[in-house]
Amino acid sequence: MKPLASHHAFSILLAAVLAVALLLVISIATPFGLSAYVANTVGQLAAFAVLALSLDLIWGYLGILSLGHGLFFGIGGYVVAMHLLKHSWQVTGKVPDFMQFMGWSEFPFYWAGFGFFPYALLVAVAVTLLISGVFGYVSFRSRVGGVYFAIITQALVYVAMLLMFRNDTGFGGNNGMTGFAVVFGWPIELKSVVIAMSAVSVLVLGMILLGCRLLLESRFGILMIATRDDEVRLRTLGYETLRLKLVVWCLSALIAALAGMLYVPQVGIINPRLLSPELSLEIAVWVAIGGRGHLIGAVIGAVLVNAVKFWLSAAAPELWPFILSGLIVLVVLVFPNGLVDLAKLKLVRPMGAKRLSSETTELH
Amino acid sequence: MRRLLVAVVFVVAACAPTLLSAAEATDRAELIGKLCGDTASLGDAGRALTGIAADGSPDDRAWAAQLARAVIDRKLTCDAKGAAVVLSEGSLDALSRTPRTVSEAGRTPLLSLKNRALFETADAALALRTAPDVARRAAALRTLERQASSLPEHLLEAAVGQESDPALKAQMMAVAQAAALNSPDPAKRIAALGRIAATPDRRALTQVRALLADPAYAANPEFKHAVDAATLTISRGIAVGDALATLYSGLSFASILFMAAIGLAVIFGLMGVINLAQGELIMIGAYITWLVQEVIRQFAPSLLDWYLILAIPVAFVTTAAIGIGLEAVLLRHLYRRPLMSLLATWAVSLFLTNLVRVTFGTQNLNFVTPFYVTGGVPVIGDFIFTWNRMFAIVFAILTLGITWGLMRLTPLGLNIRAVTQNRIMAGCLGIPVRRVDMMAFGLGSGLAGLAGLALAPIYSVNPQMGQNFIIDSFMVVVLGGVGTIVGTVVAALGIGQVNVLIEPLWGAVAAKVIVLLMIIAFLQWRPEGLFAIKGRRK
Repeated sequence: MKPLASHHAFSILLAAVLAVALLLVISIATPFGLSAYVANTVGQLAAFAVLALSLDLIWGYLGILSLGHGLFFGIGGYVVAMHLLKHSWQVTGKVPDFMQFMGWSEFPFYWAGFGFFPYALLVAVAVTLLISGVFGYVSFRSRVGGVYFAIITQALVYVAMLLMFRNDTGFGGNNGMTGFAVVFGWPIELKSVVIAMSAVSVLVLGMILLGCRLLLESRFGILMIATRDDEVRLRTLGYETLRLKLVVWCLSALIAALAGMLYVPQVGIINPRLLSPELSLEIAVWVAIGGRGHLIGAVIGAVLVNAVKFWLSAAAPELWPFILSGLIVLVVLVFPNGLVDLAKLKLVRPMGAKRLSSETTELH
Repeated sequence: MRRLLVAVVFVVAACAPTLLSAAEATDRAELIGKLCGDTASLGDAGRALTGIAADGSPDDRAWAAQLARAVIDRKLTCDAKGAAVVLSEGSLDALSRTPRTVSEAGRTPLLSLKNRALFETADAALALRTAPDVARRAAALRTLERQASSLPEHLLEAAVGQESDPALKAQMMAVAQAAALNSPDPAKRIAALGRIAATPDRRALTQVRALLADPAYAANPEFKHAVDAATLTISRGIAVGDALATLYSGLSFASILFMAAIGLAVIFGLMGVINLAQGELIMIGAYITWLVQEVIRQFAPSLLDWYLILAIPVAFVTTAAIGIGLEAVLLRHLYRRPLMSLLATWAVSLFLTNLVRVTFGTQNLNFVTPFYVTGGVPVIGDFIFTWNRMFAIVFAILTLGITWGLMRLTPLGLNIRAVTQNRIMAGCLGIPVRRVDMMAFGLGSGLAGLAGLALAPIYSVNPQMGQNFIIDSFMVVVLGGVGTIVGTVVAALGIGQVNVLIEPLWGAVAAKVIVLLMIIAFLQWRPEGLFAIKGRRK
């Protein structure tokens, strides 16, 4: 129960998240505080942190690497984009770009009801659960795991990307969907609305952090870690790990979809590139750099990598891939537990640091 | 006396081209008269020139060719003495072909739009018979093709008879057939139908289908029968050709898949490590092929056509060296953490892609197409046996043979198989497991480099080209079953054929989606793949 980072560090992180949320709330109500641009960046980082948490839950605590979490992120993103477009159309009467492009005057039938947010939310949850449930059930039942599982999830997100690139599916095709004008009746470009969306994202991040923490400290969490460390032994002892893995997998997919729902309104566009295998791989990189198997590691990794990426893609876009690949190699070779190892360096003798044994029992 | 006779014969022979028979001279004079006449007679002259192309003597044709060209180029001047062709070095009389001056009052006939077409036909017909240059004759044939039915009947037959270039001869025969098909003589038409049915393709089918509307189809039962029989033969030929074409393109796609996957199969089978940089090694193989081509272009241009062959050892050795380096520096430390090796090799692929992008730019590279991957042989229907695809297929078969030999017949192969089956036991028996890993990684990477080489002439080569391969080739590896070359071959063939079968129905993207979903579903049912090494399921 002690591979988790200390309670101390977790509390500090949670406090920091809540402080940022408070700062954002102050910025909405008063002229002080953060500008809309900074708030928007913070909000996007928070969405990425939620996404990283979702992957950390399944990879760090269950030892199952998914290289297709972008799929669930994308489902959330696409559903919320559909809602925003339909809602904007209902309020302003503006026909979405992709429909003009395709020469359609009416929404396809499956867009019915998307103007109503609870329905969109329900669809997002249902689709995510359906896909993750079916795929997870068949995979875990035939004990597909390890590298196999990783690559098959990657193939899955790749398939989704290819499908979404088609223009005739009614989801925007290769141009994606953009031009969201209204969110819950408010104009989306208004400064207070931008900051409010950011504040919601940060608050959700805090809630997910807390929720994951509670889950991991429960009996269920202990079973998760037991499964990660020696699934065969657990099964031999008579515990069926299938249901446990399936539940965590679906939960993780739901959190990823939630991250997508937070992310898309803030960037104002969604296109199939969100489903590219590279993005899904990058999520794993954030978690690995921050330190998988630690909730704070996932959050720090996502925020740090993306903050550097935001900064560098403006300052020196050519340099970024080299830095990222260097970082990955460094983390993989020198700090197998990510930046969390840095913290440990002071406390324990470096060479004595125990490595996570999670991957020694993988299938291949 | 005898000598005198010989001398006379010689003189006559030497003068022959200029000595015309009286009848010929009158014909030519008449033609020149028409050329200098009004619009209608100019048209007659054009038709007459075409007639000369079909039936005239060689000398007539040479004479007419010069005239037709001169009229089109407006180099013919009519004056009181007849007509003269104005050349850069002076003027020649059109009839006698002797130098003479042209009077100032001379008039140059102007072609109307209709007559211009007639003269261009005449010019092309004469060029077809007289031009010494194959390209010029081919161009002439293309001009004539459009009005094949209005040409004199013997023209094309005569041209076929004297043609020396086999490809052009075949084209001429096709055009002649089309002309014969529309000739007024039913027997000729039926014979032409038979000849057309002998080379069944879609063009032949449209030609024959057009005859269904012909009045003769309803009137002449013999002709109707011939048309129906020809339609049937051609349709059958096209169906066979289409089936063969699908099979062939499936085979070539499969060989590309196989080339991309075989390196991955060796590495994954042995170490359980997925090299996400495999696609980038393919890309580097293609870039090295390009570099070899450029070096040869600089230093030995005469060997340029052979760069694909000369690059084989270079591409293999370079990518194998990169692979060995990767293994020694990076992957060696990650064997107990395969998921981390995924991330590490992805970092490598990111690095290589961007390194190449920064060094060479993002544009597609240009490759010389050597003669042995150009063109193809039409077989039946619309199926063309193209050499570039054949190159990929032969290359894949050779790679398969060499890999198989290496795995089965060499000590390294024996070691690789032993470590693949049971790493710990192999180690206990004294096999240098780490060194085998390194060599196998080098082998797998070198095979990727060869795949890049094979792709160079048929694929667009740019820094991103590798990204498309990793998912496809991994699917081939797991579908076939880890650690079996046979499995990789069968899986590549299967995926290639299924892909090609679905593609015409729903398009390339849908084919890819369906194939991937099928594989994913299959793996849920049988995770060990088609050909699994028997062992306990963990």
